[in-house]
Amino acid sequence: MAQIATKATTADTFNVKATLAHNRLLGLWRLLKGYRPMYLSATLSLGVAALLMTGGVLLIRYFVDNILVRPDESFMTAALAVALLYVAMQAVRGFFSFRSNERAARVSESVALRLKDYLFDHLQHLPFAYHDKMPTGELIQRVTSDVDAIRLFFAEQLIGIGRIFVLFVVNFAALLFLHAPLALLSVLVIPIVMVLSLFFFRRVSAAYEDFQEQDAVVSRTVQENLSGVRVVKAFARQDFEKQRFEGENHKKFRLGTRFMTMHAIYWPFTDVLMGLQTALGYLAASLMVLDGQITLGTYVAYVGVVWWIIDPVRNLGRLIVQVSEAMVSYDRLSEVIRPDWEDMGYGLPAPVSQPQGRLKFEGVSFEYEPGKPVLHDISFEVEPGQAVALLGSTGSGKTSLMALLTRFYDYTGGRITLDGVDLKAYPRVFLRNLIGVVEQEPFLFSTTIRNNIAYGVYREVSQEEIEAAARAAAAHDFIASFPEGYNTLVGERGVTLSGGQKQRVALARTLLKNPRILILDDATSSVDTQTESQIREALDGLMSQRTSFVIAHRIQSVMNADLILVMDKGRIVQRGTHEQLMAERDGIYRKTYDMQASIETELERELSYVGLAV
Amino acid sequence: MSDWQFEEEEFHTSTNVGTLGRILRLLIPHKWMALGFMVAIGAVAFIEAALTFIGAQIIDQGIIARNPQRIVELVVTYALMMFVLAFGVFVFIYLAGKLGQRVTYDLRKAMFDHLQTLSLTYYNKTPVGWIMSRVNSDSERIADLVSWGLLDVIWAVMNIVTALIFMFSINWQLALAILPLIPSLWFAALWFKARILLHYRESRKYNSEIIGAYNEMITGVRVIKALNREATSLEEFGDLTRSMYRASYKAAWYSALFLPTVQIMSSLAVGAILVLGGQQIVGLTGEALGLTIGGLNAFIGYVTFMMWPVQDLARVYASMQHAIASAERAFSLLDTKPDIVDRPCAVEVDSIEGDIVFEDVTFYYDADKPVLTNFSLKVKAGETVALVGHTGSGKSTIVNLICRFYEPRAGRILINGRDYREIALHSLHSKIGMVLQTPHLFSGTIRDNIRYGRLEATDAQIEAAARTAGAHDFIATLEKGYDTEVGEGGVLLSTGQKQLISIARAILAEPQLFIMDEATSSVDTLTEALIQKGMETLMEGRTSFVIAHRLSTIKNADRIVVLENGKIIEMGTHSELLRQRGHYYSLYTKQFRREREAELERALEMA
Repeated sequence: MAQIATKATTADTFNVKATLAHNRLLGLWRLLKGYRPMYLSATLSLGVAALLMTGGVLLIRYFVDNILVRPDESFMTAALAVALLYVAMQAVRGFFSFRSNERAARVSESVALRLKDYLFDHLQHLPFAYHDKMPTGELIQRVTSDVDAIRLFFAEQLIGIGRIFVLFVVNFAALLFLHAPLALLSVLVIPIVMVLSLFFFRRVSAAYEDFQEQDAVVSRTVQENLSGVRVVKAFARQDFEKQRFEGENHKKFRLGTRFMTMHAIYWPFTDVLMGLQTALGYLAASLMVLDGQITLGTYVAYVGVVWWIIDPVRNLGRLIVQVSEAMVSYDRLSEVIRPDWEDMGYGLPAPVSQPQGRLKFEGVSFEYEPGKPVLHDISFEVEPGQAVALLGSTGSGKTSLMALLTRFYDYTGGRITLDGVDLKAYPRVFLRNLIGVVEQEPFLFSTTIRNNIAYGVYREVSQEEIEAAARAAAAHDFIASFPEGYNTLVGERGVTLSGGQKQRVALARTLLKNPRILILDDATSSVDTQTESQIREALDGLMSQRTSFVIAHRIQSVMNADLILVMDKGRIVQRGTHEQLMAERDGIYRKTYDMQASIETELERELSYVGLAV
Repeated sequence: MSDWQFEEEEFHTSTNVGTLGRILRLLIPHKWMALGFMVAIGAVAFIEAALTFIGAQIIDQGIIARNPQRIVELVVTYALMMFVLAFGVFVFIYLAGKLGQRVTYDLRKAMFDHLQTLSLTYYNKTPVGWIMSRVNSDSERIADLVSWGLLDVIWAVMNIVTALIFMFSINWQLALAILPLIPSLWFAALWFKARILLHYRESRKYNSEIIGAYNEMITGVRVIKALNREATSLEEFGDLTRSMYRASYKAAWYSALFLPTVQIMSSLAVGAILVLGGQQIVGLTGEALGLTIGGLNAFIGYVTFMMWPVQDLARVYASMQHAIASAERAFSLLDTKPDIVDRPCAVEVDSIEGDIVFEDVTFYYDADKPVLTNFSLKVKAGETVALVGHTGSGKSTIVNLICRFYEPRAGRILINGRDYREIALHSLHSKIGMVLQTPHLFSGTIRDNIRYGRLEATDAQIEAAARTAGAHDFIATLEKGYDTEVGEGGVLLSTGQKQLISIARAILAEPQLFIMDEATSSVDTLTEALIQKGMETLMEGRTSFVIAHRLSTIKNADRIVVLENGKIIEMGTHSELLRQRGHYYSLYTKQFRREREAELERALEMA
């Protein structure tokens, strides 16, 4: 028996679910666990860098006031000392600014990594009921762009707001230190710029959304035109199409221009505000110098500092809008993360460690959605080694019934026992190891054929074993015909396999896994009759030692089973061996058999119309 | 779905001057706009440098000269210049923004219009995703280069030049002394940008692999669960996310180092200014060189802000290579010549009724894989021909040749005795009605889609066509009837319903030649019967070609053509062919069994 995968996840996967919080900021804070000191140090480094920058300006003030007034020999030494100190301060500032950015990057990338890994693991552990409902495209959208939005929140937005704040505080403090009234005079415009910025970026982000939406419309119009190219040509509608595209394309141009115009108004408008503020400051400060209230050096320092207070505020609105978008992303991710995992029962012991494969269904019922049962009162027994066939039309419940065995879904009524013990007492991981399923439309991964076959086995597999499995599944010959044989890539970047070839690779995959119980869900529906009989021969040997289920909709494929269950609308309507069922003249089984036979008679009649006797 | 499957794009590193010239020529139709923003940005860069200079004058002529009058004058000048600057900023953002949008618009329009002229041969060998990338992203990248990219370059150059002019005019010796700063900054910027870009691209590559891995996990989740594969697949995924982490971190590391590096370089220059400039101010150099405190301060300002234009230049330089690669691809699309165009002597015809004759027609997509060789077939006006055969037997090619989606490589096709290449394409196509195997509907209402057959049709005519096609009944059951939106965001129609709509569309077009590619997938019995009826109406009295899968269609045809490897192997009526007991016989009996079994399946479902 194959080795069982016993652990849930790799040890270092962070449990994101435990961090979820209704307060989004709290949730984001918890997500930072383990990186908080580093993030804090990134923020502090930012502060140190800002202090040093302002310190540089103050040093120049000292230089102007104290060094430039020494027209003697001592100047050179003093000037050199100041210059060196200045360079040293900038070097240290550079170090801290590097450290701040580097740490912010490390933290935000780590959080993104943590989220991506968790989401991947989370999604593969969610029950089928979840995947049945959630469209793949939307899930992928969330796990990629919303995670990136969270990354940007830590990498740029939060630290960006911190930067504006720190620059303001440090430089304003410096101004207050230089001259308090002057300082207050220099920030008059700040509240106005702040409000304007918030207002503007809210508006502009709405305009940008419109623009983006229209961009998607343009793109869709092109896509549609390209995929409908034959229709366009067949009806000679090229001019009509050009007009249609022109309409959408031009609308996008207009929306884009509108959005750009908003920027074209905002930035110069704040430029004027800032310019007037600066001019006022210069005027006041320079007159103060003349008045003797402040020194020339202070004036020079003032000019150097004041810009750093006002300019960053212009970007505040942008960051705040982005933060609110990141919050929306957080909500969307929380929705994905909240649902519970399927309990795999990793590490739990199975009640029967080597089950023989005796299965008993007792009045089993099942519903995907409450109130809409798809299986009713299913009862039957299978002895180890027996083959059971399920016959019925699409939607009769065959596949749902089989999905209960692997506990992809848990039955909602009655009881299934395996070797006398309730199926629910077996850990899922154990059952899935015990049972092999070959689906009607099997899924292959985009890797080599060899890896696909070895996919279900957790040990080193030799080439001989792989080939043996492939031979048993009648897949070896076509695989060997590829130039790269078992190393052929399948899927988008490799060869495209036909439905029948995929079924055979999937069959080989299951055979190599060597399960105790085998489920073949219409597994040979896409292969031709000759190949089918080849596979059947190989399977007959394998099935004799295993409990097996065969789902089919043609009588020819189920005739040899030990027990045939005919299903209709979620119920077993007939049961027995082929001979027994044929004896029930009014049963669906017999009718189906007769109708299949009647096709031949009808065909004969058809042919005789044109004078052909068969 | 190709939404999250990024294309691997090859990155050119060469700078093709010819392509660059062609990119710039895109500005010719908008030369006033382009000129306008260039002048505006130039003015803005000049004023920015001038403002610093005024700042210096306030110190020298106002404060040090103790002249309050002059201070007021200078501050007023400063404020007034700020207004001019703001106006310049408005002009360049507005014009560059609009120009960027406009060039994108132009390029997309040109590509879209050009795509309408290209033949099916092009579409067969070019993936839709490739074309979409050209229309969507390449057009934007090119437009960005000629608007914001050009703007940055002009701003940066003007900024550096004007700063240098002011510096040299304030004190040329000092200016000369710090001149080496500029190439050093340039070199550093390029060095860093190259590395940041390298790791950034690597990280994008991993990102698209991660998206692929998510996609595969979600679509293959049944297998992962059935085979207890969770731990291993997470481990494999972890390798990807860790690789992406490393690449992103490296990109972030270089960009975190970049700014401090150039800042330190500038600070060295500031240090030099303090020492050398200070020396002059205090008069240690022996001769009066005229540097003032204001001038010193202006120097510090110029040098400190010098790193921004240099950084912008480096960024544009890096993205320019990208945009040139984009442009090469976009231009290659625009330069593709359509295979099928009207001959100079092509004539408009009022009617294409008449016999259709294939005369020794040879056709291939690849020269070494002929599809049809010396194929001949004569179809009488009004005849219905069913084409049957396996996939790859040449059925679709024949139909595509009749529609002149392709033209014969050798031989000719005659319509009413005239080589169809002498007929104008538009006049040929407007007389053909076509229903495809996988019917294509455009997004819009059902009414819009039917009207596609004849644009000037009235609502009453549309409804009449729908009735004839048998589509009216199901349309009437929809809440919004003919105004129901189809396609993305609209209702989901079954293949059968889509086919009914496309039959109505063809009926409305009143074609003289009808072509139908039957759906192979099963359609419910009622819809199937409706489709049959609609088809029969259409085929009545019209020359029709049907790629037939259904027995009833085949049996009703005037003539059945059995194809194999591009050759007619059997031809005749249903009963004639059955009597031959050849290929048709075996195709027919096989299809008979298949259809009956499907019916049986449905009958059991009903039971």
